[in-house]
Amino acid sequence: MISFENVTKSYKGGTLAIRDMSLDIDKGEFVFLVGSSGSGKTTFIRLLLREEAPTQGRILVAGRDIANLSHWRIPYLRRNIGCVFQDFRLLPNKNVFENVAFALEVIGRPKHVIASQVPQILDLVGLSKKRESLPGELSGGEQQRVAVARAFVNRPLILLADEPTGNLDPATSQGIMRLLERINKTGTTVVIATHDSGIVDQMRRRVVELDHGTLVRDQARGVYGYGT
Amino acid sequence: MPVSLDYVARETASNLWRNRLMTIAAVLTVAVSLSLVGSSLLLQQGVAHATAMWQHGVSVEVFLKPSVSNSQRASIQGQLRQLPYVESCLYRSKQYDYNEAKHLLTPDESQALTVATTPASYRCVLNNPSQAQAIAKQFDGYPGVRNVASPTQSIRNMESVTKILRWVFLALAVILLLSASVLILNTIRLAIFARRREVSVMKLVGATNWFIRLPFMFEGVIQGLLGAVVAAAVVVVLHLVLDALGNSKTTTILYQMRVSTHEVVGTSLVVLLVGVLIGSVGSAFGIRRFLDT
Repeated sequence: MISFENVTKSYKGGTLAIRDMSLDIDKGEFVFLVGSSGSGKTTFIRLLLREEAPTQGRILVAGRDIANLSHWRIPYLRRNIGCVFQDFRLLPNKNVFENVAFALEVIGRPKHVIASQVPQILDLVGLSKKRESLPGELSGGEQQRVAVARAFVNRPLILLADEPTGNLDPATSQGIMRLLERINKTGTTVVIATHDSGIVDQMRRRVVELDHGTLVRDQARGVYGYGT
Repeated sequence: MPVSLDYVARETASNLWRNRLMTIAAVLTVAVSLSLVGSSLLLQQGVAHATAMWQHGVSVEVFLKPSVSNSQRASIQGQLRQLPYVESCLYRSKQYDYNEAKHLLTPDESQALTVATTPASYRCVLNNPSQAQAIAKQFDGYPGVRNVASPTQSIRNMESVTKILRWVFLALAVILLLSASVLILNTIRLAIFARRREVSVMKLVGATNWFIRLPFMFEGVIQGLLGAVVAAAVVVVLHLVLDALGNSKTTTILYQMRVSTHEVVGTSLVVLLVGVLIGSVGSAFGIRRFLDT
């Protein structure tokens, strides 16, 4: 599903964010991407979303090389990749339903599709009763659920999450993780960049560790740190 | 990808309303700037009219010696009539010129005048005022001619003044247009900057660039159009005021500067077109940096 082949990404200032990285993630996998701040996790996600182009190497998403994707195709790539962030990135002046519907609206889905899919996904994330609320009226955990709903409403092949629990307490974080697991069970590939050791240790999923842009560990059923 | 009209219309309307302070700022900027541009254009046309009127009214006076013989007079008249740039010539007798001089001069100055010593004259209207000097040259020293009075210098001065005026107004219009464009562009960019969050979410979920751009461009068009309508109204009102002032005093320059309805409509159309263009191009340009990935 996702394949990095000797990918290097350096920024203009000369910073080397990703160094000769090769990695394969299969369809339906659930992967934690760990590493300290500045290890290249965010660059990894930006490369996948094609917000950045790699300096060297190939990145294949669903068999297509996205490194030299023409500009106008980029939006179509992003339709296949849902994305969740630490800061939720909801639109404060739209309510829950509108925030989720927005994702379908802007890719030109017809009204009847929106009317049937949005309630369905709100049901999945457990926010059916709060569909009229504005993001400011919700707790952090609820806001992140809206963000997950928005990322998944289009049924993307891949769901990326960049520190999805960074702003949440442990109990709420677990709730989000359970939600992401459920989404993973539908066959969606899930990649989570995090330094929340608690959830990584608890879930024992594949762990990919980056250090200063280099892949230093790729472990099935791994934990956050070395040992145990 | 088809962009649904319904979506664009809804999005544009709600954006305009949600950012109404910005909308008002943009509309006012367009209105003020384009009012000045339109007014400059109108004045520029007015000055062109005044110049044409002055040029049309230029006349040359050929004064005859009191002692002029009938054959000399006939010869002068014949020659004047032959000149291609002379529209018409009128003969004024000694008596007529004497009366006119008495009318124009103060009693002190006209005391020494008698009918017998006043020169008779030909008053010629030219269709090409720049030829006034040629006539003066041709008839100066001609048998029976006392002197030729041509308003050469004053015409030259007037022509250069109006030429400068027209350029000044045109330059003013261009400079105002440029500054208006920059102002409008800046306002639109501010409006987009205020909504960069929304744009980033749209990009994130895979909206195409045109999908993101179109509502903004529509917004720009509407803002530009609204501002331009106000500006066009200002141009029309300015025209009406100047027209009313000019018509009440037919001797003033305002009377000569009157422009036709046709020209006012043309100027207003230019203003409207520029408004729409600035609005759409400005917003497309303003959003560019938020779309580049």
